[in-house]
Amino acid sequence: MNEDILKIGEQELSSRLFLGTGKFSSTQAMIEAVKASGTELVTVALRRFNRDQAEDDLYGPLSELKNVRLMPNTSGAMNAKEAINAALLGRELSKSPFVKLEIHPNPHHLLPDAIETYEAAIELVKQDFLVLPYIPADPVLAKRLEDIGCAAVMPLGAAIGTGKGLSTAEMIKIIVRDANIPVVVDAGLRSPSEAACAMEMGCNAVLVNSAIAAAENPSAMGAAFKTGVDAGRMAYTAGLMPTSEVAVASSPLTSFLSSNG
Amino acid sequence: MANFSPQSTQRDSEQKKPLPSSETSGNTLPDWLNPEPWLNLEFTATDVQRALHADSPNEKTLATLLSPAAEEFLEPMAQRAQAITRRHFGRTVQLYTPLYLSNYCNGGCAYCGLAADRKATRTVLDPEHLRHEMEAIKKMHLEELVLLTGERMPEADISYLRNCIAIAAEYIHNVNIEVFPMSESEYRQLANVGCTGVTLYQETYDPVVYEKMHRWGAKRDYFQRLEAPDRALRGGLRTIGIGALLGLANPRHDMLCVYRHAKYLLKNYWQSGVSISFPRIRPQLGGFQPEFPVDEKMLAQYTFALRICLPEVPLVLSTREPQRVRDGMAGLGISKMSVASKTTVGGYSDDSDESTEQFEISDDRNIPEFCAMLKSKGLEPIFKNWDATYREPAAYAKN
Repeated sequence: MNEDILKIGEQELSSRLFLGTGKFSSTQAMIEAVKASGTELVTVALRRFNRDQAEDDLYGPLSELKNVRLMPNTSGAMNAKEAINAALLGRELSKSPFVKLEIHPNPHHLLPDAIETYEAAIELVKQDFLVLPYIPADPVLAKRLEDIGCAAVMPLGAAIGTGKGLSTAEMIKIIVRDANIPVVVDAGLRSPSEAACAMEMGCNAVLVNSAIAAAENPSAMGAAFKTGVDAGRMAYTAGLMPTSEVAVASSPLTSFLSSNG
Repeated sequence: MANFSPQSTQRDSEQKKPLPSSETSGNTLPDWLNPEPWLNLEFTATDVQRALHADSPNEKTLATLLSPAAEEFLEPMAQRAQAITRRHFGRTVQLYTPLYLSNYCNGGCAYCGLAADRKATRTVLDPEHLRHEMEAIKKMHLEELVLLTGERMPEADISYLRNCIAIAAEYIHNVNIEVFPMSESEYRQLANVGCTGVTLYQETYDPVVYEKMHRWGAKRDYFQRLEAPDRALRGGLRTIGIGALLGLANPRHDMLCVYRHAKYLLKNYWQSGVSISFPRIRPQLGGFQPEFPVDEKMLAQYTFALRICLPEVPLVLSTREPQRVRDGMAGLGISKMSVASKTTVGGYSDDSDESTEQFEISDDRNIPEFCAMLKSKGLEPIFKNWDATYREPAAYAKN
């Protein structure tokens, strides 16, 4: 059986669950959840890199995990210029080819700025990053980012930390239908069933943070999301039966048309 | 008030804004701030139940949750506040510490131990001493700092602050100020040398009490202070911390005004971070007795109410509060706390005279002790949550 591999640029991943690393009650709890989730790609905010104090540093402990690649993110940047600088510093420290480009000028709802994100993506692609931009679920923006060379797009399901699920489902379906690069649903997911749902829609991966970090048992929730993502992906590749508005009659009403009178 | 919003005023912050018109009868507050419609309403237990489960909390929700009817619902309010805090901020508490640069003051705040007519040893940090303080703070691994002074004085003016901010920014990532209100261009000068944010409490939003409490000096000008956050944000600061000094006036009035002020700033400066603190009057030099004492239950109720109505706004609790209250409130609405605070000038690097302190610290635990408490409650202390990369993007680009 062929292994189901996700390719982002030249990077190959067998897990389709990406994890965010903030909001956990301890670094230990975060590491356990990362392990339980089977993820191979985690994102860390540059602002949580702390070389001066090991206990406050998220990067150090994650960099020691085997089979887990790091994707620095630019959270905290308010415009393209800041995001580019954060990405450069993140690469220098982590040596990772990935960057999760996120620019949210409003620190309260943390919704992404499409204009600044597009500007920053152009520059970061030029600088040979694998750019994964966190974006509003906008099918036109997704294609524009694909056109300039982004490695994937990460539309939001709902605002970060809200747990409102796939509020943007109709737009995400269009993004998936049109995309030639991986589509990763980022933000908003609350439950493994929603992750499964995103995968059934044809999304290539999901990124989860709050739903796992804020769960009663983060490590168990990490494992549950793994199962949800795997189930959704299997269902997608198995081919879901088409939906229908009406029951399909077992004796078709038009059978008389093919009978030889 | 037509002339109050930033869109309708000139960007020249030196220009004095007109006082509110007489249409706000009985109260001189502008309409956007005036909480009168929500005061003195009667709420029932049913109203509180409904407010607790509001899908989209609004001002009525807040008025309900601040009301006496909600006093019986502290436990469900705490549970809801904790759930919202956990969802939005995770199981974390962000740490910062204050650093007093100067206690020279010509102000006449009736409640302050460092007002001009109080006997206090006046002192100001020189650059060399500031470096010692910064080294001591850096050793504690803190990465967020608030620099404090009294009112504008020759000993601690804008050029002094500019120098201090530049020094502090050499050591740690996130440098903020809690000083006197200034002009937009002065705020911009401070932003340009590495200042990230401003904390400025209105003290009380009740203009009558405000006038009584501020006996002389520049601080008597209520609107000059009220509009300072506008000027700071227009001047390039990223964050603004607001609050009312609980105990001075009717706390429900002040909490409603804090909410209205926060909403106003969020709407008009959509890229800015707004946070709210809950300073309560504590014992200090001068022995001021608050007319509207706020007890611990009230403090908790107001904090929960604001968390429920402003889910995304950081809520801050300082070391003014006793250990028991701080331990209990961590994560229950509160998402950010000061730690290891010294309210004396030069307090981090040497044993300074206690008669220079602004108020008594009620929680004098050191950082490991405080972090151990947070961890025992399943909360992670965060030291660094911002990066100096964002302070001066051009600096990195040059390399």
